[in-house]
Amino acid sequence: MDIIFDVLRTAIAPSTAAFALAAIGLNFHFGLTGLLNMGQAGFMLLGMYGFAISIQQGWPIWIAVIVGLIAAAIFAVLLGWPTLKLRGDYLAIVTIAAAEMVRFLGRSQSLKDLTGASSGIRGSDYKAPFEELSPFPDSIVTLGPFSMHGSRSSSWWLTTVTWVLVLLCAGLFWRLANSPWGRVLKGIREDEDAVRSLGKNVYSYKMQALIIGGVIGALGGITWALGNSVQPDSMGRPTTFWLWTLLLLGGAATVFGPLLGSILFWSSLTLVKSLASAFIPSDVLAPTELEPFSLVLVGVTLMLLVVFRPQGVLGNKKELAF
Amino acid sequence: MLATLDRRALLRAALVFLIAAVGITAILSMGGAAEAATAETEAVTTTATSGGTNLLVQNLFNGIVFGLLLALASVGLSLIYGTTGLSNFAHGEMVTFGAMITYFLATPQEVSFPLLPFSFSVNWPFWLAAPVGIAIATFFGWVQDKIIWSQLRRRRVAMVQQMIVSIGLSLALVNFIQWWMGGRPVRLVTSIDPRKQYGPISVGNVTLISMAIAIIAIIGVAFFLQRTRLGRATRAVSDNPALASASGIKVNSIIRIVWMMAAGLAALGGILLALYQQGIGFDDGTKLLMMMFAAVTLGGLGHPYGALVGSLIIGVVAEVSTVWLPPDLKFATALGILIIVLLVRPQGILGKAERVG
Repeated sequence: MDIIFDVLRTAIAPSTAAFALAAIGLNFHFGLTGLLNMGQAGFMLLGMYGFAISIQQGWPIWIAVIVGLIAAAIFAVLLGWPTLKLRGDYLAIVTIAAAEMVRFLGRSQSLKDLTGASSGIRGSDYKAPFEELSPFPDSIVTLGPFSMHGSRSSSWWLTTVTWVLVLLCAGLFWRLANSPWGRVLKGIREDEDAVRSLGKNVYSYKMQALIIGGVIGALGGITWALGNSVQPDSMGRPTTFWLWTLLLLGGAATVFGPLLGSILFWSSLTLVKSLASAFIPSDVLAPTELEPFSLVLVGVTLMLLVVFRPQGVLGNKKELAF
Repeated sequence: MLATLDRRALLRAALVFLIAAVGITAILSMGGAAEAATAETEAVTTTATSGGTNLLVQNLFNGIVFGLLLALASVGLSLIYGTTGLSNFAHGEMVTFGAMITYFLATPQEVSFPLLPFSFSVNWPFWLAAPVGIAIATFFGWVQDKIIWSQLRRRRVAMVQQMIVSIGLSLALVNFIQWWMGGRPVRLVTSIDPRKQYGPISVGNVTLISMAIAIIAIIGVAFFLQRTRLGRATRAVSDNPALASASGIKVNSIIRIVWMMAAGLAALGGILLALYQQGIGFDDGTKLLMMMFAAVTLGGLGHPYGALVGSLIIGVVAEVSTVWLPPDLKFATALGILIIVLLVRPQGILGKAERVG
């Protein structure tokens, strides 16, 4: 019974929603336009840094959010400018390299005053302005099996805000994907040259998609940071790979794919971990080995998904960039 | 037409570089202005006294050593790309795997397999463990191609999908190695390699021997590619698989040999790297992967000698940059070079000019 509640708690947790947001961003890149962005974690990290550092400077929260989003937009322009003309796997290598560069810069000792180097920025240093906005009580609130703090850290307040944001972004994706603009992006995904021959500026469309997806990714990063802390190493390459796994799991190029994927991914991860710790004796699988063990499963899942069911749960095989 | 395109690309590259440089400098000066200032004056005084050129020469040398080891790993990556078109994101784990299997065979400590409750100690001497480790890694390359990649080729799975499969494999392998060997770095040999002074360079004997082995291995690969029938067949496949197949070359067995060679070379690189940096962690290969991609892209994707040239450049740049930049940014510097190369010359130094967009 406890295991089921654990899984349900993970399913509605704010960090699940944050990953859904970042995956919606990735869906703009990969699902809609076919761009192989392997550096979504870099966008998330930039959003987190932009937000947390602005709050530390004493700026109001809405400016901090805008700073985080603008940082991601600038990153997208810098990245896309040279690489969007190259073949897909070049974009993959460059985005992954650029995301790693952001992480290396963030954890570099030379920027310690700003980013806190490898230990990052503590949550208490930037969460206060967001928590003060909370209309919920400042205590533990229990609702059925779920018990969370009203407004602190991973709270009911954050849960509400993040899921509303997820729904808004999913709605945005739905509107944009079905607009003339979205149809051009889908055309680029299917056949770039055909779209070019229709007189569309493919480069500029790809750039717009990259910026929008990156900004949504940064929003995901900010919401993730509000429930946790700003940690450069928590936004490394594995994070991007998780995002890809959950996007492909839910179904790329669908409206609810990222949402469903994120919920499924994190719930099953919790399920596997709690089942393993409950039923496998600890001398066979020590508690410290649970994390790598479950990540091995994630990797294998990603491999099997891509080969045998690339469209995921909700997707349509015709709507894939491969 | 080409000239104008190039100029435009160059301009764009310069601008991006400028913006990045200005940004980083601004942040740096904002971040630790006082510290930076003192560090700078210190650096200036040391340069003025004696250490300056020595430091530079030493770093240059370290860079060449690192570059050679990197080359061992990236030659395989480049050969795989050349013959199959796959950007193999799981190649970094092959590096770690080789070193870890050697540790597994050589360590006097108790070792075990994951999920099996007993432990034992192999405790072979290092000179035996290393070749056996490389052999096991080579076999692992064969297994990988047999059960994953040849199947995917047979099913005609698209290249992008195969790339994501390799990402999944990388995620699975790196965590498997962590699960198996634990999170702490391990040392292959317990003895300490004393450094000796040769002119301005201080270096240990083990490092010198590693360099020699790396150079011999690279010459061996070059000889294989240039002088043997199999090597010529490999180059033919890399040039044009369909034509090679039509002229009677068994493309799939060539690719299998390439996978075995790549895995073996990566394992050798991993073992030498573990000796050079005195220990290897479960994610060292994964960290190295970006350097390998930088090297391979810089030299020209799919071009085996390009990987060598690229690795040496990346190694030297990464090490020499520590003279001026903080050492924890040396990987970032190398990745920056990768991005700039892609802006100016996406086909790499030795690569043929071709359409890449």
